Amino acid sequence: MGGKVTCTLGEVKNRADFIVYWGGNPAECHPRHFTKYTLMQKSKFLPRGRKDRTVVLVDIRETKSAKAADHFLQVRPGKDFELLTILRALIKDQKVSEEQVAETGLSLEVLKDLIEKMKAAKFGVMFFGMGLSMTRGKHMNAAALLTLAAEMNAFTKFVAMPMRGHGNVTGADVIMRWQTGYPFGISLNRGYPRYNPGEFSTVDVLVRGDTDCAFIIGADPGATMPKPAIDHLAKVPTIVLDPHVTHTSRLSRVHITTAPAGIAAPGTGYRMDEVPMPLKPALQSPYPSDEEVVRRIRETIALRPDWMTNQPQMIEAQI
Amino acid sequence: MLRITGGTIYDPANGINGEVRDLYIADGKFSSKFDAGRTIDATGMVIMPGGVDVHTHVAGGSINFGRARTPEDHRRTHAFIRSKTRRSGLGGMAPTTFATGYLYAGMGWTTVNEAAVPVLSARHTHEELNDIPIVDKSSLVLLANNEIILDLLEEGEDERAKQIMAWYIWAAKSYGVKAVNPGGVASWKYGNDSKHLTSKISGYDHITPGTIVTKYAKMIDELGIPHPLHLHCNNLGAPGNVETTLETMRHLEGSRAHFAHLQYHAYGGDDWGNMRSEAARLAEYFNAHTNMTTDAGAVLFGDTVTITADGPWQHLLYKLTGRKWGNLDVENETGCGIVPYTYRPSNLVNAVQWAVGLELLLLINDPWRVFLSTDHPNGACFWRYPEIIQLLMCADYRNECMANLPLNIKNKISLPEISREYTLYEIATITSAGPARSLGLKHKGNLGIGKDADLVIYHQDKDIARMFGHPRYVFKGGEIVIEEGDIRETPDGKEYLIQPFYEPDIDEFLRPRFEDRYCMSFENYPVEMERIEHAQIQKCTGDDAEDGDSQ
Amino acid sequence: MSEVILRLKQDPVVTLEAEVITPDKFAEMSHEQICESIVYHGKRQLRLDEFFEVEGEKSEHIVLHGDMHRVRHLGRAMTMGSLTAHGDVGMHLGAHMKGGEICIRGNAGDWVGAEMSGGKIHVRGEAGQQVGAAYRGSLAGMKGGIIIVDGSAGIEVGMRMKRGTIFIRGSVKDFAGLQMIGGTIILGEGAEIRTGAWMQRGTIISLKPIDLMPTFGESGVMNPTFISVYSNLLKPHGCELPNDQNLGCYRRFSGDRSVPGKGEILIWQEHALN
Repeated sequence: MGGKVTCTLGEVKNRADFIVYWGGNPAECHPRHFTKYTLMQKSKFLPRGRKDRTVVLVDIRETKSAKAADHFLQVRPGKDFELLTILRALIKDQKVSEEQVAETGLSLEVLKDLIEKMKAAKFGVMFFGMGLSMTRGKHMNAAALLTLAAEMNAFTKFVAMPMRGHGNVTGADVIMRWQTGYPFGISLNRGYPRYNPGEFSTVDVLVRGDTDCAFIIGADPGATMPKPAIDHLAKVPTIVLDPHVTHTSRLSRVHITTAPAGIAAPGTGYRMDEVPMPLKPALQSPYPSDEEVVRRIRETIALRPDWMTNQPQMIEAQI
Repeated sequence: MLRITGGTIYDPANGINGEVRDLYIADGKFSSKFDAGRTIDATGMVIMPGGVDVHTHVAGGSINFGRARTPEDHRRTHAFIRSKTRRSGLGGMAPTTFATGYLYAGMGWTTVNEAAVPVLSARHTHEELNDIPIVDKSSLVLLANNEIILDLLEEGEDERAKQIMAWYIWAAKSYGVKAVNPGGVASWKYGNDSKHLTSKISGYDHITPGTIVTKYAKMIDELGIPHPLHLHCNNLGAPGNVETTLETMRHLEGSRAHFAHLQYHAYGGDDWGNMRSEAARLAEYFNAHTNMTTDAGAVLFGDTVTITADGPWQHLLYKLTGRKWGNLDVENETGCGIVPYTYRPSNLVNAVQWAVGLELLLLINDPWRVFLSTDHPNGACFWRYPEIIQLLMCADYRNECMANLPLNIKNKISLPEISREYTLYEIATITSAGPARSLGLKHKGNLGIGKDADLVIYHQDKDIARMFGHPRYVFKGGEIVIEEGDIRETPDGKEYLIQPFYEPDIDEFLRPRFEDRYCMSFENYPVEMERIEHAQIQKCTGDDAEDGDSQ
Repeated sequence: MSEVILRLKQDPVVTLEAEVITPDKFAEMSHEQICESIVYHGKRQLRLDEFFEVEGEKSEHIVLHGDMHRVRHLGRAMTMGSLTAHGDVGMHLGAHMKGGEICIRGNAGDWVGAEMSGGKIHVRGEAGQQVGAAYRGSLAGMKGGIIIVDGSAGIEVGMRMKRGTIFIRGSVKDFAGLQMIGGTIILGEGAEIRTGAWMQRGTIISLKPIDLMPTFGESGVMNPTFISVYSNLLKPHGCELPNDQNLGCYRRFSGDRSVPGKGEILIWQEHALN
């Protein structure tokens, strides 16, 4: 099986002489990323900075990030998983024919050249964006890239990491893990954490209409989720904590305005490489923080009789 | 106030070996007098100081990475179902934070030392430690592959290196220094390893792993840090690595040192086929050199997940097992690897490892210098300690277990020739008094007047694993937290840290080097003091106060 | 033959987790015990008879009626007896099942027969995703038994399956046989894409042409005898595999080379009429 082989961004800054962006457009979506962490930085190991690094962009179209890359590989839409799987076969010297490669929109020669460069690198890194992880194949596309990176370690140092969007998704993921053992897609209805993406993940729960209430903190699913999910949010009592008026707050029954985290509320933000950063507010807000609102709701609920009259039971035969 | 009467007391710190005495508790400490209050009748029961785990991995980026990689284990594990007083959680190979506190306290352990914290993510580790209820905590910071310090050693700037070490400990709000595969993890950043004390470290010309261990031990002693250099030697897990370990021990003569999970460093042979135990040889050297302490890092058969800062070893294990692999390199500082693993009695290598852990515990003759650990979760999960205690206390049971080992293990281990059985007094030493002393926590592992009232009361039971797995009462800070298997109270534990002295101008010296290596701002790097809940700063020797029990 | 008959009388508003509804449990339970057994309506624990009319007791044969698409974990880990549903059922039908028989005269949700190791599941309608699959993180999915789906099924059919047989009479979506370790998947109406991706071993038989991953290689044309053996085994379950060499043959592909794996995909191809 594969795995997840990754590093903190400083390692990329210090060491990565071979950088792949796959299905992401950092030039436009992560504007500080190139200058702060990857391309432009000089280090003890890469004294000439950008000149010491090789940058490859793999995407379905030539985005602005292509200008920053040394090599641009245009993969046919929907063929990322195939391309990554071919690369996994080729690094192990398995045979893949020219015709088989052709369906990805690239040639065997180009891929062999790419692999040669990857194997010759001292420290390779692969970043992937939503162009990979949110298109057909989703988690398996990401798994393909992570597995390729893991397997590359038979030849040289290689790591991979997602280019995550939105504020502090990583933080939510990290905390859920230490408190429940799972990163997301968790149900606590039986009094203990259970995990099953697809069953308990928010979008699936909403699309199936499996919930009779929604409590939303610092997210705007009303802007991004499929219509059946949004319709269900409008149907059930939805409570939103958000500094702003959002698509979701407009369809909610209750919107509590909170202080914006990091700007007027302190705390910790986890960077996409899971490094915790202190959030030091620059402004004061008349509104309470999300944390305070949640704590006060919790204290009020605690005054009411416990709904859990009997100890719930674990689901048996988990193995 | 509270009185415990009639119990048989094992308190090695005060030389009390199985005497019936009364204990009085007031304000969370043991007291010399009792005026009024509840009395607990412990007649016929065994009383020991609460357990102290000198080496475990319960909080921070790496164990949390492990949690994410093992949902299949969470599903089959014991779940903690929430109640009015208890948070929900999961046990298993990598327990969640709340469950970690309940499980440790549930078997009578009241202090734990998280043994591997990268400074860069120390803020995260402390957030997790804050979420581990009941037990007191401390943490050790990973510095032996810190390139800024290694650069200084390379340049011969030893004094400056020491100052930076002190700076890092305080920046991480940590309690001491952990060295993992010194130089080897730095080499791993190039895909290499440094297996021997004379090996080259990739990127360096003048220093070797030998330089690092020697100088680090000296610097730690000079800084007066309560716990000595906490060392995970080079060449972990490899056949024949006993030579590296002995060489490391020779390097450290004249310094204090704690050898972590020695089991993984005590193998002979030169490949997996002829790997054998060298515990006897190692124990002989260890017995003769009193500058060292160690913890066993014992292995039990079953499923676990291996988690270590030793990146190259984990890549090897991934290749050997073909199972999932997680790896996380931390800029400038360290690495971390995760591989789920199953120890099988039928597997010769695993069988040797199982024997080596026990042999070390049985052949090292001073219980004040060898401590119970499984390097949780690497050798086994910490909640399986009672099984190890049974193996140590009952030679018959040990022999029964040995019958399940492969036949060709003969001549590869010395366990069959060992008849020693641990006494309760010795168990109290290796699980509590000894590790507390090694950590320099003078108010722990000790039932004396004025010490923290952390204790555990067991039913006498012929079934040793049951006895130690199911205490009658557990007290933490004078409060009953466990009673007959039920969690009564879940108080917050304290967190111990130290503030070793460094020259104030070191900040300005460090800043440019820091900015060169890291990708966060210098000001944001140190963990703020207010992030540590119930912080207790312990003194370093050379500090003014005599006693370590500051408030 | 005695039966326990359950009729859904009230539609659950949110999911209803009812892992208690198994032949193993009901075989031992009186009528009253069945009525008062606990089901989980969301986070609330309620008596089973708040949702179902209960008829019968102490039987290892269960018959369910109603639209139970929100009712999950039916027949979980059952080892014997039978469970028949007239109507749709929710997720995890027969997960961890070890024996006995399940028949659904309706559609089933995701994770039908997940990680099962024995017994038979027959879904007359359609099934959701991850039929016979491994749960997230598990090393192995289905380890034995047989699953038959008359309609279509979703993605990741037989993911990481180790042994046993899955027959999907209709079409399936992506990733059928993903990371398969062993066993057999038979696809009656073909599949969308990425069939057999990352498979190590095992056999996927498709009776209709399908797209293959570029990491499979063709290794000949055959009419293997084991197809007849399979066909005979499956006949009692209403499945037949063509194997008349006058009519056609199986094209054999092996892979997935990215692993590198030794799995095989057999695609039935009728001879062109001329």
